[in-house]
Amino acid sequence: MNKNKLLLLGSSLGVLVLFATAAVQENFLRGWRRVQAAGRTDAGAIPVQLRQVVNQSLRTADRCTTCHVTMGPGEEAVTGGPLFKKHPPVTHDPAVYGCTVCHGGQGAATDKEDAHGDVHFWPEPMIPVKMSEAGCGTCHAAPGIPARAELRAAQAVFERLDCRACHRVDGRGGTIRPDGGGMEGPDLTGIAVKGWDAAWHDKHVAKAAQSASGPWKTSFAPVSADDQATVTRFLQTRYGASRLTEAKSTFFSYGCLGCHRVSGVGGDEGPDLTRAGQKDPGQVDFTHVPEGHGLTNWVAEHFRAPGAVVAGSKMPPASAPEADIEQLTLFVLSLRRRELPGAYMPKDRIEVARMGRREFAADGATIYGAFCSGCHGLDGLGRVTGDEVFPSIAHPEFQKLATDKFLTETIAKGRPGRRMPGWNKEGGLRPEEIAAVVAHLRTMAGVPARTQEDTWMAAAEPMTGDPLYAASCAGCHGHKGQGGKGPALANRALLEAASDGFLRDTITKGRPGSVMPAFGEPSTIHRTLTPSDVESIVAYLRSWQGR
Amino acid sequence: MTVIPGNSKSRLDPEPMPRRDWLGLTALWSTASALLFGVLGALRLPKAAVVAAPSKSFKIALPEALPAGEALVPPGRAVAVYRDGEGVYAISTICTHLGCVVKPNAEGFECPCHGSRFDAAGGVIKGPAPRALPWLQVRVSGADVQIDEGKTVPNGTKVKDA
Amino acid sequence: MTPAMTEFVDNLRAAPRRILETAFRGGAPKTDRTRSTFIFGNVFLHLHSVRVHRWTLRWSTTMGLGIASTAAFLITLVTGVLLMFYYKPYPDVAYQSIKDIHFVVPTGRFMRNIHRWAANVMVVCVLLHMARAFYTASYRKPREFNWLVGMGLLSITLGLSFTGYLLPWDQLAYWAITIGANIAQSPREITDALEITEWFDPGGFQRALLLGSEIVGEEALIRFYLLHVMVLPLALVFLMTIHFWRIRKDGGLARPDDADQQLQAPGGDVYPVFTQAPEKTYQLAAIVRGRTPAVGRGPENTVPAMPHLFYAELGVLMFTLLICVALSLVSDAPLKELANPSVPENPAKAPWYFLGLQELVAFSAFTGGIGVPSIVLLGLGLIPYLDRESTGTGRWFGGPGGWPLVRRALLVGFGAALAIEALVIRFGWIREWFPSVGQLVVTAINPGTLLTLIYGAYSVWLVKRYNSARAGALGLFTCFLCGFLVLTIIGTYFRGPNWVFYWSPGQWPKH
Repeated sequence: MNKNKLLLLGSSLGVLVLFATAAVQENFLRGWRRVQAAGRTDAGAIPVQLRQVVNQSLRTADRCTTCHVTMGPGEEAVTGGPLFKKHPPVTHDPAVYGCTVCHGGQGAATDKEDAHGDVHFWPEPMIPVKMSEAGCGTCHAAPGIPARAELRAAQAVFERLDCRACHRVDGRGGTIRPDGGGMEGPDLTGIAVKGWDAAWHDKHVAKAAQSASGPWKTSFAPVSADDQATVTRFLQTRYGASRLTEAKSTFFSYGCLGCHRVSGVGGDEGPDLTRAGQKDPGQVDFTHVPEGHGLTNWVAEHFRAPGAVVAGSKMPPASAPEADIEQLTLFVLSLRRRELPGAYMPKDRIEVARMGRREFAADGATIYGAFCSGCHGLDGLGRVTGDEVFPSIAHPEFQKLATDKFLTETIAKGRPGRRMPGWNKEGGLRPEEIAAVVAHLRTMAGVPARTQEDTWMAAAEPMTGDPLYAASCAGCHGHKGQGGKGPALANRALLEAASDGFLRDTITKGRPGSVMPAFGEPSTIHRTLTPSDVESIVAYLRSWQGR
Repeated sequence: MTVIPGNSKSRLDPEPMPRRDWLGLTALWSTASALLFGVLGALRLPKAAVVAAPSKSFKIALPEALPAGEALVPPGRAVAVYRDGEGVYAISTICTHLGCVVKPNAEGFECPCHGSRFDAAGGVIKGPAPRALPWLQVRVSGADVQIDEGKTVPNGTKVKDA
Repeated sequence: MTPAMTEFVDNLRAAPRRILETAFRGGAPKTDRTRSTFIFGNVFLHLHSVRVHRWTLRWSTTMGLGIASTAAFLITLVTGVLLMFYYKPYPDVAYQSIKDIHFVVPTGRFMRNIHRWAANVMVVCVLLHMARAFYTASYRKPREFNWLVGMGLLSITLGLSFTGYLLPWDQLAYWAITIGANIAQSPREITDALEITEWFDPGGFQRALLLGSEIVGEEALIRFYLLHVMVLPLALVFLMTIHFWRIRKDGGLARPDDADQQLQAPGGDVYPVFTQAPEKTYQLAAIVRGRTPAVGRGPENTVPAMPHLFYAELGVLMFTLLICVALSLVSDAPLKELANPSVPENPAKAPWYFLGLQELVAFSAFTGGIGVPSIVLLGLGLIPYLDRESTGTGRWFGGPGGWPLVRRALLVGFGAALAIEALVIRFGWIREWFPSVGQLVVTAINPGTLLTLIYGAYSVWLVKRYNSARAGALGLFTCFLCGFLVLTIIGTYFRGPNWVFYWSPGQWPKH
């Protein structure tokens, strides 16, 4: 019996010791207890306890404030530790909205690694601090952002006019302080959300006229109407997250929407990106990502080498500088777009999601940048990736030939069988947007719009063109016009869009910037076609249209 | 031994049991059948008559540029939709082995749970899956494709699209 | 003070003592008689016999495994009830509530860890307890039925673990249960091949019963919860009661016929026997049939259960608690990400004790998930009714053949299992060789059935060789134990994504 008594004694003492250990761990050794123990207010030490921010509508219960105490409700005054920093000023009080809505991470956790999501099996790790503006994308979808060149141009005007002398924007400027006090002009950060007085210029002028001296006299002069419009455009992009806006404008300069949808608008070649920033790192293949885990690295590497990171990806590598890749990554991470309870749905998101407002600006340059530049290049001179040739569409020779109708129809209907999709579709471009793109193409080429319709009709007998086609064209375009090295010509959308004159001129003058030679010109490598030959070929091409 | 007057039998002697106690047997059997019937009836309860599950039939728009042999997996559905020269078809991506969701790849499908592999038409190449992946009913109406996850069609049935 | 007042004060002062006295009828267990009354005056203790044989108390007799299983169950019971304060059985909320238990509830993580470890300890102890009962041939007459009850307890224990696995509603849980539910449906493998599923679909019925829906969803969660916290624990307690009561009624633990000779004289710590003769009445014995501990045999080698057995049981209980608590401090119960019905966990692994079956399931769902387990359960259940011998009862590896036989059976068991696994891992199975082979063939011929066949044949040979059913049983049980171990270890440590064999998790394709 003594053996059993000894067993009982030993086990019981052991259990007692372990319970005591657990009690010490639970009550004294948790990291947050040490953090909070240093906390002081005027009234003395703060109570050491779990703290949280609960927002029932957003269904968050974030215990982050257990360590980041000062960001909790009513605890701004706590001092005493490196973690007790104030949140930089933001519109949304973290004490109300909680932390994870913007920053990601595991709000329920109270240990650092778990909370920051640097553990296995947590689908939403924290967004890196340098990318924290991506968090805005959880709820917001700022509309009307121009492509980067346009944004930079508007910004340059804003800088040139030196508006920042009086106004602070995105944490910069507003340095003139005549009375030594606050800023002279109102802070314009987030002005696109708050809205502004449309008559601001007149009021500025009136104020300047009244003032006898001071900055109104020395620092303000009337602004030209053009510049006023540009400044307005710039202010329309000031949503309070300047880095995200910049990133978004970069996104709109790489033609990503040509293949990907965001908020229901864009191409269907690649995956929908509307929630790409919410990708679960646990479901992502990190085999070919050198810089270690984390969605940020994966997305960045994916831009550098899409085919390597995702097997079978047809996305061309973005030949972009690292700075641009960082911006593109920031934007992709911002594509979180969480479902929100009605009261929390921001205005901009409602406009984009429900009222059909575009996230990109309405000008042709931006739309071209957002949709077309991925394939046709930002300069419109085409691209060659691998064995794929994307036509140069901004070439003056082509632009001289193409009528607005031809361009519009091509954009609207696309080229079935080729990678060019038709943009007159659900989630595509609206007629006025297509028109804006066409106008932009004209300005890129520096060629005025071809207004007069081509009324020339090929009158030749179609079959006379057959041998000529076989001899001169079939090599590239295929015997039945099915296409080969050159585009398919037995293509109803093409034949409907192109006039006889366009076909004739293209054959005669060729397509500079591509391998299509000018058959009207004498050459040693191909036979020269006479105008009547060309007319026969055009008639022959027309015979395919009926099918 | 205590003997009760007027009765020659001892209390310690066993009570005589009739060889066929009809009344008793009938009573016991009816108890058993009543209870059995009740248990069978009660078993109806855990098996729901109808399950409040989302409709198995759904509509999607196939993108123009879907290459032949490339799967389109509608979000939230365990179906891979294809289009090739012969028409549109849909293959269930629920493994016939133990119900994991198979992943379309270049050769066909692979199951992460027990390594079953299927060819592009859903036939079993390798592993424990007992049957080919079923093909699902597809109806084409204009640009939209109506797919019914609840109805299977013979494998190889492709529906001509517009 | 009036006498009444004095009496009132006296009574008040005596009240605590009297409450104790009335709670434990007969007062403190000091003499043989009061010790006896202490036992059978207590609703819990009276499941014990009043006196236990000294053989029973030897550590090598039982190794305390039965009590350890019970102790683990009690620990899960207490911690489980505590967890129920916070757990909410509804998808999403369930996951969040486990997060809360893990991170916010004071001692929540600790309790959850203890619950999880105690559950594992319970499974281990129950399995070992069964092995102990088998190897000491304790299932023999009159204990056959208690062996069956024990098998019921084993099944319920596994059921409890399995149902508890779903409750966190994380990826691990979700896919393990999806697989489990589809194993329940796997009779369809047969009915489909015979094309009779339309009329006769036991698989579909089992699955519908388990899930209450076509998918693992809220219905399944509430069902598993109900089973886990209510149905199965009640069933377990019910069977446990019978199990314990039968131990007593079947005459205590099995012991060899010469147990009394083997035991040395009691040490000084054993209270002298029969200081007070019990008031035995043979009238009572007259109506109790069968072998009762005190009739026809001398009680010389028995000791009062209180306190000898009491200390042994309490000691094992505390030791089990010690193990569970220690493990809980070292290792946290896992919690993966929230269940995602469209992306399977890869690899999706069931609890470890089912990984042997999962290894078999990777060839045929029906054979691995239902066929082989049924054969094993049937075989186990039949053992006491086929082995009617009496040599070796109560002795480790007792019976013809003895330990040398078990040693050879270990070789055969491990050898066959490893050989078949090696073959399969290296060369694949029928379908890789003959892709067009029918499903019924794969269901009938696969590593599971092959292994069963080899083991069965070996044990039949043993029966002939030793002319003893016990020898066959010893071989068969040992073989199956080896097979279980090999398959479980391979399933646990050597299977990676897509259930492909890897020498270590380090070789898994990186995610």
